[in-house]
Amino acid sequence: MFNKILIANRGEIALRVICACKELGIKTVAIYSEADRNALHVRFADEAICVGPPRSADSYLNIPAVISAAEITNVDAIHPGYGLLSENANFADVCETCHIKFIGPPGDVIRLMGEKEKARQAMKKANVPILPGSDGVIPNAEEAREWAKQIGYPVIVKASAGGGGRGMRVIRAEGELEQLFNSAQAEAAAAFGNGNLYMEKFIERPRHIEFQVLGDSNNVISLGERECSIQRRHQKLLEESPSPRVTEEMRSRIGEKLENCLSAIGYVNAGTVEFLMDEDGSLHFIEMNTRIQVEHPVTEMVTGIDLVKAQILLADGANVKEIIPNVERRGHSIECRINAEHPEKFTPSAGKIKVFHTPGSVGVRLDTAAYAEGVIPPYYDSLIAKLITHGKDRDEAIMRMQRALEMFIVEGVYTTIPLHRRILADEEFRAGNTDTKYLERLFAKLQEQRAKEAVAQS
Amino acid sequence: MNQKELKELIDFLVEKDISEFELQRGDEKVKIKRGAVVHAAPHIAASFPAPEMSSAAHLGSTVSVPPAHTTAPLATQEDLHIVKSPIVGTFYEAPAPGAPPFVKIGDVVEAGQVLCIIEAMKLMNEIESDVAGEIVRRLVTNSQAVEYGQPLFAIRARK
Repeated sequence: MFNKILIANRGEIALRVICACKELGIKTVAIYSEADRNALHVRFADEAICVGPPRSADSYLNIPAVISAAEITNVDAIHPGYGLLSENANFADVCETCHIKFIGPPGDVIRLMGEKEKARQAMKKANVPILPGSDGVIPNAEEAREWAKQIGYPVIVKASAGGGGRGMRVIRAEGELEQLFNSAQAEAAAAFGNGNLYMEKFIERPRHIEFQVLGDSNNVISLGERECSIQRRHQKLLEESPSPRVTEEMRSRIGEKLENCLSAIGYVNAGTVEFLMDEDGSLHFIEMNTRIQVEHPVTEMVTGIDLVKAQILLADGANVKEIIPNVERRGHSIECRINAEHPEKFTPSAGKIKVFHTPGSVGVRLDTAAYAEGVIPPYYDSLIAKLITHGKDRDEAIMRMQRALEMFIVEGVYTTIPLHRRILADEEFRAGNTDTKYLERLFAKLQEQRAKEAVAQS
Repeated sequence: MNQKELKELIDFLVEKDISEFELQRGDEKVKIKRGAVVHAAPHIAASFPAPEMSSAAHLGSTVSVPPAHTTAPLATQEDLHIVKSPIVGTFYEAPAPGAPPFVKIGDVVEAGQVLCIIEAMKLMNEIESDVAGEIVRRLVTNSQAVEYGQPLFAIRARK
């Protein structure tokens, strides 16, 4: 077993990894930027090394600094968390060269899944359903037109080398294709240095469904799905497991396909396979994330499995079927991402937390690195806490979340708690009618309500 | 040294009104300066700053001091310029084992002059002085692990 692990991350996930290490009797090394000097992950780790000034690029993303910190503290392994260097294939390779175990899949697998188009082809070969789309990269608008005819409008062109909405265009009719194709290509080239585009069928109101997997070098097991349809600008806000629309049959069918495909690829450690579900309920693969995800707790609550511990054990060479002899699912879990943002304007709200009263009691879990008198620095993402509930069914999980949100008091910074309360009270959400356009509809509803109230008062 | 021992030690120092104390046991080193901060370090510079440090030792969680605290008293006392490490790594005072150190206390250096080497990932990085002046203090020991921002030398800058 590893003697010491360096956590190449910050915030709540760094603390999460420290928790798993404490339970496994593994010593921890935290790294931090000057802005995180008073952060909780620094205080709870056994050792801590300052790796740079506040900007991520100079500190948390500074590979020489991170590796150097790992060397001077003599760690056996590095856990990269999520975001930051977790899907940086080059970093995984550097760790290997330096004889430090990277807790995740090897660089080549990260690379494969990072090239979206290649990942699609790999899945297609394994009979995992993918969105109808082009066979590889489309060189020009002419070919794009042919593909679009075959696939059927509406279609979306996407950058093979990147994501986050850049190099992406939805094309609803042949007339607009040429112009949109060319502008997507230019944007992709500018953003990622690579203008390669591929095309997929576009689903107007998809549900975002993702499957959690864990693998050793021989086997991969599926731990079931999460639904993450409630998003704003491609950022997830609320996640749950199981999905109200995934049947047991779908779960085992897709699960089995993934297990076979990913074992064949030699997938190791934790990963999440993302799908879009179209209006008639079929699942289509879009991409795979080769790391632990923010929303991993909802799977932990439903299966009872500690995913971060599993990651560490798998990296240490354990057998996945020994760690997890069988997967059981109980009840329903929901997670709300509490961001330090204005709940309506979404402007980031950095600053000092004056009051931090956290909820608890039955079925409530809080993953956070925030604390009263702590300062939220402006340099990093705005996630300050993940509030997770579990119940025997979806209604109970919802009820517990409402109670917990009501008793979660944060003062000094704005948070998205009021927004989550609105979502949890909304009848569309409660009925399980969610898709990636859900939040837009909710905002429109709220605006209408407000307009009506304004008129009523005047 | 566990927390109980540490507390007893501090109580003793307070009782006898001892202001500075240093102890080394194996690779455990304890250095206590009263009125400022408590610093307990294994051979690595470990840093667990507590948000509020009162003048008696604060035993709440763990102990240490962010570089700023140790340099502040030095710097204000004499208006010294502190050269800080720009990288994470291992500090070496000389270009090679057995060779004479780049600089010693009392030397006058120019801006850009090499003061030491910090090894990171098998690469030897020469660290240059950012000011001209006289070397007054060396703040790290040979082959000590250093972090970003760690104070290395105190220089009385030439005006």
